Amino acid sequence: MERILTRNVDKHDSETIAVYEGGGGYQALRKALSGMSPEAVTDEVKKSGLRGRGGAGFPTGLKWTFMPKEVGKKPHYLLCNADESEPGTFKDRLLMERDPHLLLEGCLISSYAIHASVCFIYVRGEYVRSIRVLERAIAEAYAKGYAGKNILGSGWSCELVLHPGAGAYICGEETAMMTSLEGNRGYPRLKPPFPAQAGLWGCPTTINNVETLANVPFIVERGADWFLSIGKAPKNSGPKLYSLSGHVKRPGNYEAPMGLPLHELIYDLGGGMLRDDRPLKAVIPGGSSVPVLRADECEVDLDFDSLAAKGTMLGSAGVMVMDSGTCMVNALRRISHFYAHESCGQCTPCREGCGWMERILDRLDTGEGRQADLDLLHDIGGQIIGNTICALGDAAAMPVQSFVKKFRDEFQYHVDHKACMV
Amino acid sequence: MLGPDFEKRVDAIVARYPEPKAALLPVLWEVQRARGHVDADAEAWVGKRLGVSAAHVHGCVTFYTMYKQQPSGKYHLQVCTTLSCMLRGSDELVEHLTRRLGIGVGETTPDGRFSLVRVECLGSCGTAPMFQLNDDYHENLTAERVDRLLDSLP
Amino acid sequence: MPKLTIDGQEVEAQPGATVLQTVLSQGRVVPHYCYHPGLSIAGNCRMCLVEVEKAPKLVIGCATVVTEGMVVRTESEPVKKARAAMMEFFLLNHPLDCPICDQAGECKLQDYAVEHGRGYSRSVEPRPAFNKAVDIGPHVMLDQERCIQCSRCIRFCDEVTRTGELAFFQRGDRTVIGVAPGRPLANSYSGNVVDICPVGALTLKEFRFQTRVWYLKNTPSACIACARNCSVFVGTGTQRQIMTTSGQQDERVKRLVPRYNPEVNGHWMCDEGRLSWRSLYAAPRLMQAKSEGATVAWEDAIAKAAGLLRGKGKVALSLSPRLTCEDLYAWRLLAEAVSAQVSVRRIVRGEDDSLLLRADKGGNSRGAAWILGQAALDRSLTDAVRAGAVEALVVVGDPLDPADTPALPAGAAVGRVIFVGPHEVGAAEAAHVALPAAAWAEEDGTVVNFQGHLQRVQRAHLPHGEGRPGWRVVRDLAEAAGLTLPGWAAASEVFASASAVVPELSGLAHADVGILGVRAGGVSTGVPG
Repeated sequence: MERILTRNVDKHDSETIAVYEGGGGYQALRKALSGMSPEAVTDEVKKSGLRGRGGAGFPTGLKWTFMPKEVGKKPHYLLCNADESEPGTFKDRLLMERDPHLLLEGCLISSYAIHASVCFIYVRGEYVRSIRVLERAIAEAYAKGYAGKNILGSGWSCELVLHPGAGAYICGEETAMMTSLEGNRGYPRLKPPFPAQAGLWGCPTTINNVETLANVPFIVERGADWFLSIGKAPKNSGPKLYSLSGHVKRPGNYEAPMGLPLHELIYDLGGGMLRDDRPLKAVIPGGSSVPVLRADECEVDLDFDSLAAKGTMLGSAGVMVMDSGTCMVNALRRISHFYAHESCGQCTPCREGCGWMERILDRLDTGEGRQADLDLLHDIGGQIIGNTICALGDAAAMPVQSFVKKFRDEFQYHVDHKACMV
Repeated sequence: MLGPDFEKRVDAIVARYPEPKAALLPVLWEVQRARGHVDADAEAWVGKRLGVSAAHVHGCVTFYTMYKQQPSGKYHLQVCTTLSCMLRGSDELVEHLTRRLGIGVGETTPDGRFSLVRVECLGSCGTAPMFQLNDDYHENLTAERVDRLLDSLP
Repeated sequence: MPKLTIDGQEVEAQPGATVLQTVLSQGRVVPHYCYHPGLSIAGNCRMCLVEVEKAPKLVIGCATVVTEGMVVRTESEPVKKARAAMMEFFLLNHPLDCPICDQAGECKLQDYAVEHGRGYSRSVEPRPAFNKAVDIGPHVMLDQERCIQCSRCIRFCDEVTRTGELAFFQRGDRTVIGVAPGRPLANSYSGNVVDICPVGALTLKEFRFQTRVWYLKNTPSACIACARNCSVFVGTGTQRQIMTTSGQQDERVKRLVPRYNPEVNGHWMCDEGRLSWRSLYAAPRLMQAKSEGATVAWEDAIAKAAGLLRGKGKVALSLSPRLTCEDLYAWRLLAEAVSAQVSVRRIVRGEDDSLLLRADKGGNSRGAAWILGQAALDRSLTDAVRAGAVEALVVVGDPLDPADTPALPAGAAVGRVIFVGPHEVGAAEAAHVALPAAAWAEEDGTVVNFQGHLQRVQRAHLPHGEGRPGWRVVRDLAEAAGLTLPGWAAASEVFASASAVVPELSGLAHADVGILGVRAGGVSTGVPG
């Protein structure tokens, strides 16, 4: 399999512009600016079937068409979502640390497509190395005239601005990211209005994930048809980075065409289960916000539609593997703690409900659970889902509901015996 | 407040954005880098400089977990304990650290060298368990590696 | 005008209105916390979730703009379930403070819990502890545990006063509101956050623990502490906590809250006005008539005063700019009958601000200008009184604040002094006759604000002691002095007399002046101060 997104990451000095250009980098930007209109770029990305790699899987080209076709009184902005904080996910970090120019070229071409004059790159505050690497890369890009005024003589100008987060998962939500960038607590916004109409400072804004943007230079250079030839066209095309973690021998990031079978990821690429005496028990395929799969449900391709058909989601493709030694009550408790800690607190059901679910799971895990807690957990989740301002509430409720449903015997055991079943 | 060089850096940051308020998070980082933490005086100064109330600044300092309201240890150990790290022994790592350092989670050693906190997913799930020591990630940790690392610190 | 269906009924809505606004304008209620018509839309409480046909999930009514043909259901099963769910979340960590919380009786949490809640708690988790009884400003107490994070108070300080004292601190279910150290909630309108707080998280220090709200009688009136005349409700009660009816002599004002008036004060009032009632009880009341310092019967005092008025020499009247139009008109007639000079005192402090506050603290100075003429407002009696040019001086005390009732100026050479006022202060002490008058909350009347807006002030409780409305004192004096003044029996009759004579009030009657007042027109005589 040809490595596309990760073609540079193992090269020595891969983060430098010299290595990037040496491998053909910034040719796509040249091609876009010299021979294509912004609309033509958008059309190509639309045709390619690229879907957002941040978690929602929304068709990228379609998202770009929501922006006003012409720039009016308000500037257009591209906001690169580099706040990667979904548990189990570490693919964007790989790209930023080892191939920052791929991201920058993707940012520039995408900004061009949506008539943006500034691209903000919001990087989570913990990714200090990524920030430093990107700072140097941005300076290199400016020095070579790939960013700034009149880029490559095209008449189009675009600034690249790096903006650090400071420790808040919720800022990965696109409207919370905008609110945070404007200098506020990271509270998501009501929609409508949508970012393409009124985003940063009320101006038309598009938010895209790092990996999504990293695909754009390839689509421009090699064409939509090429992109569609990888993976499972038409709706699940292109290369994909999978972050594999948990009880496997070789956790890490793996690139494969979209639709890699889960078994192949775990047993071939991942080297199989960490301990031979502990078989597979459960997998969360898309970062902790998606429903869990039991071992007997793991005969599935890792793409948007296949996982949706199984009642879960590809999400951020953070594949977390749990073996038979894992107490599912304990695991769910840890997951719930994450959401309770990260809930921004703006809206009632998530603010109160996440904390409530966590406290119930604390009791269940430590032997103080009651029978009523099992259905109560499900109910609380149901009272959150669909009633919140953003998807964090849903993200907290779905693991709770899926774990309790699929591993109910373990939860029951905790109630009856006040101890782990494993 | 922190000298003309500091203020020049702040000016440069403010210039990147269409509105000064947007410089809030990066400016708070500058304060923390210069002073080690963000206190009430700094909040008031930042608010005045960016045209927001001190309460607004405090609201941001307390919302984002990486801003410290009190100085931490010289070596601030931030151990990831979210699911993937938990599956690979983060809790045992925390145990080891509390025993080795003689402090609980959230505390600082009396000599001011080490502070220990639990944090959420740091995006290093493939190299778990791990911690962030000040700015740097230390991955694929074992008790031995941790001991060697801590012993080597100046 | 979009037409939509709400619970089966066709409704015509304002273009751009939200579902919630449309329902509220129909006089119906969808429960809500964070929405307030005077503030931006927050959409965080999620209490106003309603069903909109074709929408994939419930939507919040406060942020959903109505469209042509929309079908809305506010009482369906999913909506009821959602409301019960939200109530459960609100009550989950809320302290069981009702027995000690001021908000009880006007608390939206109580009201909606009863109407929409589950009725019992399913939680066995301990509730978190935050700071209770936090002094966050000169007038406001904060209880962080009771807060439901609706952000109304924060939005008020950001959007209305633009002072930003309040903010959320921490995150998730540890979120609390507070102020920055050394920066208390000290803007001139801080009391409004207490009104808009749906629960007892923010309480007014001056009202804390004073009474239960169900013991209060609420009388619509207008504030006279400055020339804005914010519309208010005057809350009165007795010292003993029993249901209040008029006629109880120990009834007092316990609080003022603003009353919505789009033409005068919007939703708000300033702190100075909000607390202006306290001055009513800041000095001893003149409970009975006095002659040469000794208590006498009313008729005797009136007879003596009438004699002083008819005596030789010039008469001068010093009036408060806060007297009602009715009182002012009565004094005008008396002044004309005895050829007296009239001076309306000026009370000016500070500056006009960009919100509600006026530097002119004379609550009816515009009315005084219309009824007595600008010259009366410009005239000062100090020189004349010192020079001995005034033989008989009538000083009418301030109906609101005894501190604004003057004493005689130093070196005054006045032969006879008559005092009419509620408090035994200032000139009352030097008066030969002192006649008790009703204070502001004790008489019906009208006042005019600086914009020419005419409003009713209403009697919230009976006068203390033998106090009578000023126009009644004038009527009795005139009768005893043999002067021809109408024998008015009610404030409305005095107003009718005035409107026949005062051009700016022509064509108006008390009955025309509804709950929000009317803009009175006519020739502008200028605004003092």
